[in-house]
Amino acid sequence: MKIAKSVLQAVTLILISLISLMPFWLMFSMSTFKSEMIFQGNPLIPSNYLLENLKTIFASNFIRSYANSFIISISVMVLSVIICSMVGYAMNVYNFKAKKLVNMFIMMTMMVPTQIGIIGYMIEMRNLGINNTLLPMIFIWLASGLGAYWMVSFVKSALPIELVESARIDGASEPRIFCGIAIPCIRPGLLTLCLLQFLWSWNSYMYPLVFVNKAENYTIPIFVKSLASAYRTDYGAQLAGLTLATIPVLILFIFGSKSFIKGLTAGAVKG
Amino acid sequence: MNKSITKYNRTWPIIFLAPFCICFFMFNLFPILYSFYMSTLDWAGYNEKTFVGLTNFIIIFTKDTTFWSSVWNTIRIGIVGFPVAIVLGLIFAALLSNVRRFKNTLQTVNFLPYITTPVAIGMIFTFIFEEHVGILNKLIEALGGTAINFIGTARWAPLVISFMIIWKCTGYFMTMYLAGITAISDDLYEAAKIDGASRLQSFFKITIPLLKPVTVFLIITSTIYAFQLFDEANLLFANQSSSTVGGPNQSCLTIVWNFYNQAFGANPRMGYASAMACVLFIIIAVVSVIGLRVMNGKGEE
Repeated sequence: MKIAKSVLQAVTLILISLISLMPFWLMFSMSTFKSEMIFQGNPLIPSNYLLENLKTIFASNFIRSYANSFIISISVMVLSVIICSMVGYAMNVYNFKAKKLVNMFIMMTMMVPTQIGIIGYMIEMRNLGINNTLLPMIFIWLASGLGAYWMVSFVKSALPIELVESARIDGASEPRIFCGIAIPCIRPGLLTLCLLQFLWSWNSYMYPLVFVNKAENYTIPIFVKSLASAYRTDYGAQLAGLTLATIPVLILFIFGSKSFIKGLTAGAVKG
Repeated sequence: MNKSITKYNRTWPIIFLAPFCICFFMFNLFPILYSFYMSTLDWAGYNEKTFVGLTNFIIIFTKDTTFWSSVWNTIRIGIVGFPVAIVLGLIFAALLSNVRRFKNTLQTVNFLPYITTPVAIGMIFTFIFEEHVGILNKLIEALGGTAINFIGTARWAPLVISFMIIWKCTGYFMTMYLAGITAISDDLYEAAKIDGASRLQSFFKITIPLLKPVTVFLIITSTIYAFQLFDEANLLFANQSSSTVGGPNQSCLTIVWNFYNQAFGANPRMGYASAMACVLFIIIAVVSVIGLRVMNGKGEE
């Protein structure tokens, strides 16, 4: 009885995992096909056209697009994580009058989706004269409401206030305490937020759709879309590009997996 | 001593909060406020602006059936997708929490859908559900059934998008729940066992109530996510002819897609789209206030 139960459990879990893996595998496997052949053979078994597909994408704008995506995501990751952890620090270490109000404000920023203001944002960027650069796709992610909310609850659970107080008595300045004590204490949370911000900006589709209007500024999603023309859509090459696009997030995730999941849940469970 | 504390609590919070507030104001709040102003205009983005007062809003509330059906589409897609994903996530987390070996592998594998690029998800799902060459239909035909036009009919297409959501989010929700379960003390289950509770009973009486904070968090974030649905719907039809807006009979036209199409589509109506954004803003504000109430209620407990 007990064995039957655990077998059933194992089968269920494996089945679920297969469903999770299936589209992922299809993406890779189909990228090894010649476009015209994808629907002829069995797409579950890789074919031999991967190199040709890679040649196709490297011959076009792929490297530039990849670099653009990297520039955007790394900038977003570094800047927004610093900004958000500063909020987390301020909201936990200091007592000030407007604290409740700021807390409400952070909650509100988390709830309001940025897409709503995208028309105004586009016109603002146009008037600043930077709508043809990568900057609009970076700026929009900097004040992440969810990130701030996250860091507030993470700092609360990970940074003992006594540590800050004793550092103050020792005469450390506030920026020094922030960098030297707070940041090391909240490292798992920082890492999680880094991964999420990278992931979100890397996979972002709508902002590039609005802001990219020339080939030099392509990000990966737009580049992949550009491989489809009215005459022939090169699915194989598109999928090869997408497979390559998944690699950085995959690497980040596999290496950071443990502390990522730890940090991810600490924010939600304790918050 | 007291003086020094006030010194800490005056200037430093401002310095630490300033970057966030400045960025938020410049790149998030100001554009929204500007959109409020633009909602009173009739403007294509390049021609003369004409002030039309509240006309845009009056049209939205009285004539624009597309807008309201896009609201309905979004709700329908979300209401089918997210609750299923949340319940499945909870069940899988409960199953996985008993597993000793391969726990991390299983968790990572099930998290993969969440990190996959939406563009890839859109393409793969097109390949799976396509009418003539799609893998699922090949399977159905091999089993003796007739092919179903999943993507081309208004009846099925929204369900495909709901399924995309389920596929994408279940692993993420599962991870959240799993950590919630790990945080629950084993003593509780031991005590329940001694009192003669079955595993199912302790799941319903211990696990689910104690996971309420996670559930609340997931419901709120997925509600917000639901109102922003765009990528999944848009990308499912991305490889078809560019004239298809909203899928078959516009059954997959979500609020944001409709808004995007009005603002940046073939016939841009920036003013009108801004008015739509304002209405969406109000809808989300109402939902947020309710959400905030629930969250604050959680804090008081």
